[in-house]
Amino acid sequence: MTSAPNEPGNDDRGLNPADLHELRFTRASMLRPGYVDTEVDRVMSRVAEELARHIAEKAQLRDEVRALRAHVEGTPVPVAPSEQAVRILSSAQQTADAYVAEAEEFSRQMTSEARAVYEEEVRQARENAGAIIQAAQEAAAKMTVGMAGADAGARSMEELEEQVAYLKAFGQACRVQLRSYLEALLSDVEKEWGRADPALLPQQPARAPAQRSSRDAPDDSAATFYGNTAAEAPGASEEQEGSPATAGSRSAP
Amino acid sequence: MDIAAMRANFAKAAATGDEAPLYFYSHLFLSHPETRQMFPVSMAHQRDRLFSALGDVVARVDDLDALVPILQQLGRDHRKFGTLAAHYPAVGASLLATLEHFDDQWSPELAKDWTEAYTLVAEVMTAAADEAAEQPAWWDADVVAHETRAIDVAVLRIRPRAQYDYVAGQSLSLETNVRPRLWRYYSPANAPRPDGLMEIHVKARDGGPVSSALVRRVGVGDVLRLGPPVGHISLDAESDRDLLLIAGGMGLAPLKALIDQVSRRGPARRVDLFVGARNDDHHYDRADLRRLEQENPWLSVTLAVSEDKLSSLEHGDVGDVVMRHGPWLSREVYVAGPGVMVDDTVSRLREHGVPSRRIHSEVFAPSRPGPSLDGEVTE
Repeated sequence: MTSAPNEPGNDDRGLNPADLHELRFTRASMLRPGYVDTEVDRVMSRVAEELARHIAEKAQLRDEVRALRAHVEGTPVPVAPSEQAVRILSSAQQTADAYVAEAEEFSRQMTSEARAVYEEEVRQARENAGAIIQAAQEAAAKMTVGMAGADAGARSMEELEEQVAYLKAFGQACRVQLRSYLEALLSDVEKEWGRADPALLPQQPARAPAQRSSRDAPDDSAATFYGNTAAEAPGASEEQEGSPATAGSRSAP
Repeated sequence: MDIAAMRANFAKAAATGDEAPLYFYSHLFLSHPETRQMFPVSMAHQRDRLFSALGDVVARVDDLDALVPILQQLGRDHRKFGTLAAHYPAVGASLLATLEHFDDQWSPELAKDWTEAYTLVAEVMTAAADEAAEQPAWWDADVVAHETRAIDVAVLRIRPRAQYDYVAGQSLSLETNVRPRLWRYYSPANAPRPDGLMEIHVKARDGGPVSSALVRRVGVGDVLRLGPPVGHISLDAESDRDLLLIAGGMGLAPLKALIDQVSRRGPARRVDLFVGARNDDHHYDRADLRRLEQENPWLSVTLAVSEDKLSSLEHGDVGDVVMRHGPWLSREVYVAGPGVMVDDTVSRLREHGVPSRRIHSEVFAPSRPGPSLDGEVTE
């Protein structure tokens, strides 16, 4: 046997056709003609192993080819979308656009109407307050002039001042009420907008608690709100009297 | 490249109005569904913009000197939308399909020319985007304060998480996750500060999705995304002329930033600020302006109201009020506000004799959804 199949090194690369061609079995003894049984058996078993391996590998490759083919067929590679698909998506998009535009328009109308109402109310309230204060001051002047008793005059002045303070506070309270009413109205509009905007729907739950808490727990939002208003209040009421301290105009040098 | 034929072909698509962009986007989203999430829910404004941008490109296709900078700007701008180099071929394919769809005389030559032209455009844009790659595509910024100043005005303080360089008077585009994919422009009302804080003034426009969300839904702890700074109002570093700043409504923000710049960096100069609003309530920042005026002897602030007879402030359009003071002939003038107010004020200043080169103006119009090709910036 010149080219022993089980020679070291041959095992790794497997059995190739040349190995078989070059294979020479040793003649058996004169008593027993033919090849040596053991050698033949060994070669046969190696050939069987090799064949099994090839068959297994072939099956594996076939699976792989099948998977790759399926993958290639599964992905929509540069297959241009059909005219029909484009049309359907286009009209879906237009519908969505129309909804969003409608929601925006609705919100625009609501807010601008609310704003107009608010501004008108505030304007009227201011005018009324101004008129009341003026009337009170005139009355006070008349009283102090007309009244001989200094004591009585002082008392009625005091009363009038009280009344003026009350009216101021009342006007302020009206303003605050009006503001929070409009805030609520605006946040309703916001909610409508969110509903009409489908992309936001998944975010709604995350946002919702904050929204709810600000609506259901008025102390919370109102506190900051009153805080703001209160901070502005002194300035605002001073202006109504036309106090020169807050007169905004400064002439440039 | 047969430019005349390409223009004629483009004109056919453009003549269909909304049809062509509608077809283009549907085609793009169907062939590359992953691109859909880069756009807002409503595509109405987007469609207007696409073909006007393409039209600009086609109009200048034989004037590369003008075209290239525009494309570079576009390429850089698109980074904040999450645009990747891989998206460009997808857009090119859909664009070609659209141009073919609306032209019954489509030819292989046109296809070849358009492919070449588009490849060039895409190369310039991606190269510009790559060059800008050392700065972030966008900056996340935390809202650290949110103050409601009037029924429809809020002042936000935001702090970008990474260094954000800008110049006082510039604007930036921002997006909130409450209104995804809608970018709007705002001017920080302060010069860059060591702690990175920025003051943003927002007026809720009636029906404006982003502005009303910023005023009424965004709060402390929310995160905004900022695009790179843009815009043209800035102080001339060479000049130390006294300043006249005239703001209408929300135009106050960039001018307040200029005041901040003068107080931080100098040079020392007189600054007169005039702010116009419809009535007292619209002067949402007056407390802070009074504080600035008291702290800085070189600053004088005049508030004016145009529709409030009871107000103790000066009455009249702000342009009028400015003219009652003065003279302003030696001043460097900055005007920012609504279009009508800016036009009116600028023409009064010209009549007054202020040379045009010393009048800088910026129009703050409600809701312009994104960067235009000319880089024009509005609120």
